[in-house]
Amino acid sequence: EKCTSADERRAPLRTWANACGSIDRCQPVEEESRTAPVKLEPEHRWVGLLFSSYAVEGCVEAPVLLYPHGLQGLHSLHALVPSLLRLEVETALEKLGLSDRTYAWEVFLDMMKTQMRNSLPSADLSRHFTDATRAILVDWIIRVHELLQFQEETLYLAVHLLNRSLRQLKVTTANLQLLGIICLFLAAKKEESLLPDVAGLCSLMDHTYTKRQLLRMERKVLCALNFEVSHCPPLHFLLLFASVARCSATVVWMARYLLELSLLEGQCVVFLPVQLAGAALCLARQVLQECSTPEGEAAWCLASSIHVGSEPTLLRIMHILAGAAAKASTQETCATFIKFSSAETLQVSRHPGLINAAGLLGACS
Amino acid sequence: MNVIMANCTSVQYEPVAEIGGGAYGTVYKARDTESGKFVALKNVRVQTDQNGLPVSTVREVALLKRMEQFDHPNVVRLMDVCATQRSDQETKVTLVFEHVDQDLKTYLAKAPAPGLSAGRIKDLMRQLLSGLAFLHSNHVMHRDLKPENILVTSQGQVKLADFGLAKIYSCHMALTPVVVTLWYRPPEVLLQSSYATPVDIWSTGCIFAEMFRRIPLFCGESEMDQLGKIFEVIGLPPPEEWPTDVTVQRKNFPPLKARPITDFVPEIDEQGAKLLMEMLAFDPVKRISALSALEHPYFQDEEKKS
Repeated sequence: EKCTSADERRAPLRTWANACGSIDRCQPVEEESRTAPVKLEPEHRWVGLLFSSYAVEGCVEAPVLLYPHGLQGLHSLHALVPSLLRLEVETALEKLGLSDRTYAWEVFLDMMKTQMRNSLPSADLSRHFTDATRAILVDWIIRVHELLQFQEETLYLAVHLLNRSLRQLKVTTANLQLLGIICLFLAAKKEESLLPDVAGLCSLMDHTYTKRQLLRMERKVLCALNFEVSHCPPLHFLLLFASVARCSATVVWMARYLLELSLLEGQCVVFLPVQLAGAALCLARQVLQECSTPEGEAAWCLASSIHVGSEPTLLRIMHILAGAAAKASTQETCATFIKFSSAETLQVSRHPGLINAAGLLGACS
Repeated sequence: MNVIMANCTSVQYEPVAEIGGGAYGTVYKARDTESGKFVALKNVRVQTDQNGLPVSTVREVALLKRMEQFDHPNVVRLMDVCATQRSDQETKVTLVFEHVDQDLKTYLAKAPAPGLSAGRIKDLMRQLLSGLAFLHSNHVMHRDLKPENILVTSQGQVKLADFGLAKIYSCHMALTPVVVTLWYRPPEVLLQSSYATPVDIWSTGCIFAEMFRRIPLFCGESEMDQLGKIFEVIGLPPPEEWPTDVTVQRKNFPPLKARPITDFVPEIDEQGAKLLMEMLAFDPVKRISALSALEHPYFQDEEKKS
């Protein structure tokens, strides 16, 4: 069954705009009301979940085994400058609040290892939808995500769940938006402390679907994904590398913009979070061409040493992102472009350097 | 609609026998029709409101699945999870675990006359504590550790089962009468004080003693009786260790002195007795952790010999 006309495809996705007002009915996630009085167990349990340290026998001792493909460089680098890189990574993770000092290196190894799980080997998510259709859906998710004022992590998780669901489930065009909202809803259940209620989500979609349909889809997605809804977002790698590389605020915002654009690109689903983050940061630096100091260059060299061995992949991603950024303003799927044109994000999406970013890469490579 | 599920539990797993009533619902032995292997199906009924599956269930099961990635040798494999709706208010979450035929209770009962050798007990304990250290480092407590949910494969490999479930159950469980044995419960739980991962260490201590004795260490019939039996062994704790947030008062118990643990576990060696007493510390803060227990001379001793 091929895609029907563009209008038919897009119709339900447009309705989000009609119902913006009705979803501020957020309700707090019930703090787990355990029947037994578990007073000692601290509430930072869920902070620990994503980055829970793992220091039990054997598993952190063999970094070579952690990187089966594409990341071989890390090991050799680890051997060359173990202490410096390790120190920088530990400091950065602590500064970012992603780990406490004691477990920081284990957390980093855990991030590197976790991203390998659930990676998608090929870009063909579904025979039924084109990349353009997927991009429209992701763009809509980005808009709703912004409307609900969710955290960045939730968006990356939602799109990750969507990609895997598209693989696992056969969904009709009519139910694509339903799948999208459920992926966002599940991501929110995992990451957020304030949740919208299902009735609010229904009115957000102009009651195209019933509450019953939403809840049914929730069960289907959870079953199809086997409840595996843990994910290491590329954003955390980006913030980590940017911190190690001492990047300026402008570079970081630019990289965040480029990284979010990668969510819309169907070709990008095959890449690992660590690679997407590295590429976004590389491209951001090249676009902005800030004058550098020797210290800055040294810091950058250390940060990019993590990617030794995967430069060709990074360059491929950079080309995709440069192409996406050049046409972002003229696309119908421009939620990210608009988001990053605000003053708070330093208006990075409007930077003139992005128009010819691809040319810039050509000259460099 | 028109969504075809990638894997459907009811089709793939064919129930063979009921293998346990369990406090939290029925457990089935089933055959995986794809692999032909046996699995253990555990059904959890969770109450769902108009917002679908509870956040706690989503997070707890996600945590179990995430831990699964580490493939720890002393933790039972969680192979599959499925959710099916039973009614508007209830969803059945089916957890599919690997099936291990034998638990520690049967293993102990089957051991020939003088019981397990000291070396065998040490090996079982090391595995048990490794599994526990792994759970605790992932912020998971077991809360209901007992010989029945410690599995022992035919190769003698220990695998912890039913961890983390207590929390999934207790949050949004459809009401079933809960009958849980008191025998492995630590004082802080019996006193309804606050508790954390040390609860599992207490239970491990009870099980450690039971490996030598082949009968449980403390067989109380009520919470108070259980506490009384505990104090007969470890003595009544000093007033400063008595938790302040509980209704049961210290003066309700006779001022018993601690007796040598070898009176109750005569076969245990000196280092084993020391470790056991550190596990049976009344104050959970003073109780040894799983990681430290693995470093205890009781285990190092064996390495020297071998």
